[in-house]
Amino acid sequence: MIEVLMWTAVSVAFAMALVVILERAEFGIEEAIDRRNIRRYRPLVERAMAGDDAARRALGAAPARHRITIAWLVIEPLIEDRDPTRIDRARAIAQASSLFPVADRYLRSRRWWRRARALRALGLIQATDRTPQLVAALDDPHPDVRAAALDGLTDMRDMTALEAIVVRVHDTSLHRGRRGAALRAFGTACEPFLLELAAVDPENRLNYIYALAICGTARSRPVLCRWTEDPRVEVRATAYEALGYVGLDDESARVAIEGLKSVDPQVRAMAAYALRGWGQGHAADRLAEHLDDTWAVAVQAARSLQSMGPAGTAQLQARAPREGMGGVLARQLLWQAGDHQS
Amino acid sequence: MTFLAQALVAFALLITAYFTLWNLSQILMAPLAIRSLWRHRLRYTRRARKLAGGVAVPRFVSIVAPAFNEESTIVESVRALLAVDYHPREIVIVNDGSTDRSLAVLQETFQLVPAPLAFDLPLPSEPIRGIYRSVSEPDLVVLDKENGGGKADAVNAGINVASGVLVLVIDADTVLEPDALTRAVLPFLEDTSTVAVGGTVGIANGSRIQNGRVIDTALPAGWLARFQIVEYMRAFLLFRLACASQNAVVLISGAFGLFRRDALIEVGGFDRTAIGEDMDITVRMQRHFRERGEPIRIGFEPNPLCWTQAPEDWRSLRSQRYRWRRGLLQTLWRHRRMIGNPRFGSVGLFPMPYIAFFEGLGPLLEVGGYGVTIVAASFGYLDWKYFAVMLAVSVLFGVATTLLAVLLNDVTARRYMRGPDLALLVVVAILEGFGYRQINSIWGCIGTFKALTGTGGWGAMNKTAFR
Repeated sequence: MIEVLMWTAVSVAFAMALVVILERAEFGIEEAIDRRNIRRYRPLVERAMAGDDAARRALGAAPARHRITIAWLVIEPLIEDRDPTRIDRARAIAQASSLFPVADRYLRSRRWWRRARALRALGLIQATDRTPQLVAALDDPHPDVRAAALDGLTDMRDMTALEAIVVRVHDTSLHRGRRGAALRAFGTACEPFLLELAAVDPENRLNYIYALAICGTARSRPVLCRWTEDPRVEVRATAYEALGYVGLDDESARVAIEGLKSVDPQVRAMAAYALRGWGQGHAADRLAEHLDDTWAVAVQAARSLQSMGPAGTAQLQARAPREGMGGVLARQLLWQAGDHQS
Repeated sequence: MTFLAQALVAFALLITAYFTLWNLSQILMAPLAIRSLWRHRLRYTRRARKLAGGVAVPRFVSIVAPAFNEESTIVESVRALLAVDYHPREIVIVNDGSTDRSLAVLQETFQLVPAPLAFDLPLPSEPIRGIYRSVSEPDLVVLDKENGGGKADAVNAGINVASGVLVLVIDADTVLEPDALTRAVLPFLEDTSTVAVGGTVGIANGSRIQNGRVIDTALPAGWLARFQIVEYMRAFLLFRLACASQNAVVLISGAFGLFRRDALIEVGGFDRTAIGEDMDITVRMQRHFRERGEPIRIGFEPNPLCWTQAPEDWRSLRSQRYRWRRGLLQTLWRHRRMIGNPRFGSVGLFPMPYIAFFEGLGPLLEVGGYGVTIVAASFGYLDWKYFAVMLAVSVLFGVATTLLAVLLNDVTARRYMRGPDLALLVVVAILEGFGYRQINSIWGCIGTFKALTGTGGWGAMNKTAFR
């Protein structure tokens, strides 16, 4: 028994050392093959991406086993470089190299990572004829595939997918950050849908406010102003925050100044935030009164004053000599604004 | 055979079984770790990483780096922080009452000027002597405070001043990977219950660092640092990764921890009385949110997020290990209610009992086992073969575990790409089991004694400027 244990230990240690060496050897071989393929196809891909038809045809004639390498060389740079001409050319190369049948096969694969990879690739080359597949993948059972579908649709920017994205604004099975990124990619085009849906779905108002903060315009202002009277504190506060993103007009600025009187600090803080950049009327005077409010409100008030230009600076300068938190905040923001350089 | 001899044989076999179980449990963690690595590789693609810059409102990150007598490395460290390719961010250096020229070199290099800074004080810390901002680097804030006797106090002061939604707590000598923050922020964007993210820490000794970036990884010349490299691999890529796969991370390394600021404040910040403040804060967060039935996720990034200097002399290493040991035991004692308690979910059922049984008892049983069998064999009460088997099982299974970690490291990070480096790493993994691990166990026993008697301080480490 003891001997068996000893020999087991020796064997396990030896086997592990062998595995380390074999793994590295296998990696070395794989890398050498990859290097060779990349050396062979990169110049062709570069020429094809520059518009050379002969290079595109040459890529199309490449053996089927090299298609994935070609796809990687063509598509991966598009993650950073979203130049429309390059995207069009990449799509043409994908067509010539018969990459679409490969993508379709991957989309039907039982392996989730293959489906995810195909969805991202199709989005990157803006293969809009595959939009229905990407929309359908938003309901895939695997969360990473759903995430990839949303990434793909974000990159695709096909307006026919807009509604499918907007209706999923509070779908928690999709990553929150990705939902925001998708709305941001489509921008103000989402706004009419959001307002329409929000009108019939008060339960999820908070999510609509978050969304309007990302892609809302002046059109959303009246609705957001109305929502600052919602019975829920969080909704009221977020509505003010969204007004800050959307920007104010006279009426919404009046609403924001009213919000500074709220008994709830969270609402006051966001009302102060909403006034950022609004240097008209009595906004600066009202905000300055809140420099000695609770910390969360005081910080927002100070930052909004800083953003207001001469009106805000005057209020900060008036408060700076004073003792207490308001004075320190005023001095800090004046310093940040560049007083230290003078 | 006398009763004493029989008892000694039973003891020797029990200890051998314990070693076997310990090492096999680590080897059995490999499938979990590999699955976690594989999923991570497939999920966090280059396109996925782009999300950090594509979200509607990128998370503002405050990087808090406490510094105590870091004169030789502080400028290089701050430059490295400024080179991090994540925005929006601010860098808060907390000079924790250094007695050397740390503050002076910062003032000279980065044109620091006294600046007003208003902040709330939700966390307790020692008084602040001054706040400086850099004229040349607008993102840099330097906080000069009274020494609070530990990193926790300095970090709390930094968190108070931080204006970010997320706070990255690092050591002043940590060298971040350029995309470390982009990678670490992703779990927060994807899952709103994420309160913290930790990751693998690499050892920078021997590697070439230029403009605050590790540009060439190589093994150090000294054996002590080499042993620590494989030791770190074992710690990060087996147990912690296995924990991460079960959402049961109980230790975010002090060298790199990205936290949600509101969550840190909710749990009362870093505990100034904690010896192992990094493990304490992680376990406390797990406990706090799980006790309230609130969802909690602590993420773990297996690819190296940062690099740190390992002690290259025995004295520094010894004092570090004493401190780690005392910190471990203190945290286990404070949170003993979590051990084996299903109320705390996977954390109570997996890492806490594991740490208590193997990490907590391990050094005592190892040193005790060797000691008793050597004495018993010397006096003829026990056959020497029992000692030989115990040693062989402990060492060889240990070597196998370390080699497994080397393999995982090679698959994930591909850090030591030169053939001779890998060969040397395998040799180091084998030699580490002969002497270094046993010395660590002895230090573990002394650390336990110090923990029980309440002796021992923070311990100093001799540091040199990065190469």
